[in-house]
Amino acid sequence: MQLSKYLRERVVSLSAAILLLCIIMTIVYPSQFATVENFSQVLLNLSIDTIVAVGMMVLMIAGMFDLSVGSVVAFAGGLAGYLMYYHDVNFLLAIMAAIAGSLLIGLANGLLIAKAGINPMIQTLAMMGIVRGLALMLSGAGIQNFPYEFIYIGQSKLLGLQAPVWYMIVIVGLFSFLAAKTKFFRRYYFIGGNERASKLSGIRVEKMKIYAFILSALLAGIAGILLSSRLGAALSTSGRGMELRVITAVILGGASLSGGYGKIVGAFLGALFMALINNMLIIGRVSGYWQEIILGIILIVAVGLDQWLLRRIEK
Amino acid sequence: MLQLKNISKSFPGVKALHDISLEFKPGEVHALCGENGAGKTTLMNILVGNIQPDEGSIFLSNKKIGVENIQVAQGFGISIVYQERSLVDSLTVAENIYPVNQPLNRFGLINYRQLYKQTQALLDELQLTHLSPVTKVEDLSSSQKQMVEIAKALAQDPSWLILDEPTASITNKETEILFSIIRKLKAKGVAVIYISHRMAEIKTIADIVSILKDGIFQGSYDAASTPVDIIIAKMVGRDLQQAAYISHKQKEVALEVKNLSGKGFSDISFVLHKGEILGIAGLQGSGRTELALAIFGDIPFQNGKIIEDGISIHPKHPADCINLGMAYIPEDRKAQGLFMEQAISDNIIAAHPGKGLYNRRESHAVSESYRVKLSIRATHVQQKVQKLSGGNQQKVVLAKWLHTEADIFIINEPTHGVDVGAKAEIYSELRKLTAEGKSILLISSELPELLLLSDRIAVMYKGNIQGIIEHDNANEENITAMASGM
Repeated sequence: MQLSKYLRERVVSLSAAILLLCIIMTIVYPSQFATVENFSQVLLNLSIDTIVAVGMMVLMIAGMFDLSVGSVVAFAGGLAGYLMYYHDVNFLLAIMAAIAGSLLIGLANGLLIAKAGINPMIQTLAMMGIVRGLALMLSGAGIQNFPYEFIYIGQSKLLGLQAPVWYMIVIVGLFSFLAAKTKFFRRYYFIGGNERASKLSGIRVEKMKIYAFILSALLAGIAGILLSSRLGAALSTSGRGMELRVITAVILGGASLSGGYGKIVGAFLGALFMALINNMLIIGRVSGYWQEIILGIILIVAVGLDQWLLRRIEK
Repeated sequence: MLQLKNISKSFPGVKALHDISLEFKPGEVHALCGENGAGKTTLMNILVGNIQPDEGSIFLSNKKIGVENIQVAQGFGISIVYQERSLVDSLTVAENIYPVNQPLNRFGLINYRQLYKQTQALLDELQLTHLSPVTKVEDLSSSQKQMVEIAKALAQDPSWLILDEPTASITNKETEILFSIIRKLKAKGVAVIYISHRMAEIKTIADIVSILKDGIFQGSYDAASTPVDIIIAKMVGRDLQQAAYISHKQKEVALEVKNLSGKGFSDISFVLHKGEILGIAGLQGSGRTELALAIFGDIPFQNGKIIEDGISIHPKHPADCINLGMAYIPEDRKAQGLFMEQAISDNIIAAHPGKGLYNRRESHAVSESYRVKLSIRATHVQQKVQKLSGGNQQKVVLAKWLHTEADIFIINEPTHGVDVGAKAEIYSELRKLTAEGKSILLISSELPELLLLSDRIAVMYKGNIQGIIEHDNANEENITAMASGM
């Protein structure tokens, strides 16, 4: 009974699953899995997704989501690359332009959803196509040869961990604190719980929604710059399929589509869990095709298990 | 004869029903009374198969039956009209009344012409002539929706009909229609199980009244001959003092509304004094709620002025009004007042203005003090609001607004679906507010409530204030007459 309740706390059950996975892998593949290099690689692989997932978690707590994030990742890298390569713009200015562009996309999403009343799924689906097109126009077949300073952002190392991992840690830590502790971010739980009651309780729901979409686009923009810096190239195909991967991680991490639930750290744990499964399959030399199949099954099992536990508790 | 024998049911931490035995006879209206949380709804859910009892069984004509789910119950001729809505807004009245068993044509497709015809026949039989089979449910008022719910249950031609608070959201006229339907069913030999808080209705329509308190059966009584105070005493298990009218009205004006017009109301003027309860009476659709929402900044107003403490205000959002010391307790607590999936403590701090850091410990301490003050029946303030009974949920909404320390309370149907015990507690809280010099605009459909609490009563009809009656001159007759435009 008490155990069921704890297991329904997704952060707890997911941490347990991750721990279990690590123990099994350490026993089965001690020399390949439990190494610093492997772990730093796993963390690097999940860092970009996790940064985007933080913004998605905030949106999903408020009962919304953003399908345009993957396109914004490509757009931000593309815009920075375009400015640096074709116009010799200073790397800092290029980054600022890319961030500003991402913010504008988020603002457009937010305004059209909150003020014009367009459904978030439809709005961000349309924006996903529009921004992907812009990214294609900017980076064409791909842009390379970035200035050294730009490359440094994503490829430097500190204490054995790559820079994107550090950015991820800072962002997850910062937003975990903000979401749990500030009255501002706690409003998103109310909005996700009951929008009408939120407004009548004095929460400016429209503004809060706009901020959430701006935040999501901002984090996607940062992720896009990190990705292109790490790869040393801006590709128009960057971030393709990322939106669904990120939503999967966020739901695994404890969010619900109807809103009101979720913790920021859950977004990280969800992404970590997915990355570990991926790592396990690679070390175990399982065909890459299996990855998607297994992740799909895990998502169904996780959500199904949750419903089962809920029924048990309510009985 | 339909019998429940020795039914017991426990939920984690609560014994919801304790060895309940009841019997329902054809052609009899059997009222079921009890405070919220007394176990009435649980018992009915067992009868229709939504919940399985831990102990005890159901007998039909002295044969033990197993009711595994609601389809099985319908097979035995048991139908229920829930408190919650079960209609699909985007479909027509006819499609809602016949969600299954639609008439088919020879190709096996739905025969709409026949469907509308048989729905019209049913509506005619029920005297619901103001409803059309082809109207979409979303275009109906909440009282019309309730009547469609009832029609839907009757379409199954039940032998045993359960009505759970059927009059909570319908107008007096529709209540009369409902009663004439119940009388007809009775004559046909249908048994009606009637759950209600309203004593007047029980006296009018019921033959027998059975009372539950905290899941324990308190006895069955003859409805006509048993005095109301005895029924209430059995329900609450104590004698409720009939509160008397007390006035805390001061001379100073807290809020003035001048010639206010907007969607649904026009040219509204009144003055609300400090410490005053100004009642607003009127039928559903008379513009009461729109007026309240406009004053609270939720919907815009076109003309007129709102003057608070001598200063003209122009609210654009409820947040503006909250900052100016106003509070609004909505009529539909589930849809507009509460965050059902969240903890009591989160609900209580929801409207508290403020920036900066959220302090979990402080919010628990504050909520705990309100839990004690309003005697909200919950084990702890981290409990989800969903698990509470209607009366306790309403107290949570009240606590939320008490916590904002507002000076002007706009309260819409404060005791809708709330049991008598909680009702008395809510009334006494409202009195405490006015004693502190706070003002209340009290919107209510329950005339006894308005008459008991209000210093003055403004009666609305079709968006206008027909007149404002002083407490001493007000009675049910003159309010009803004004509210219906006479």
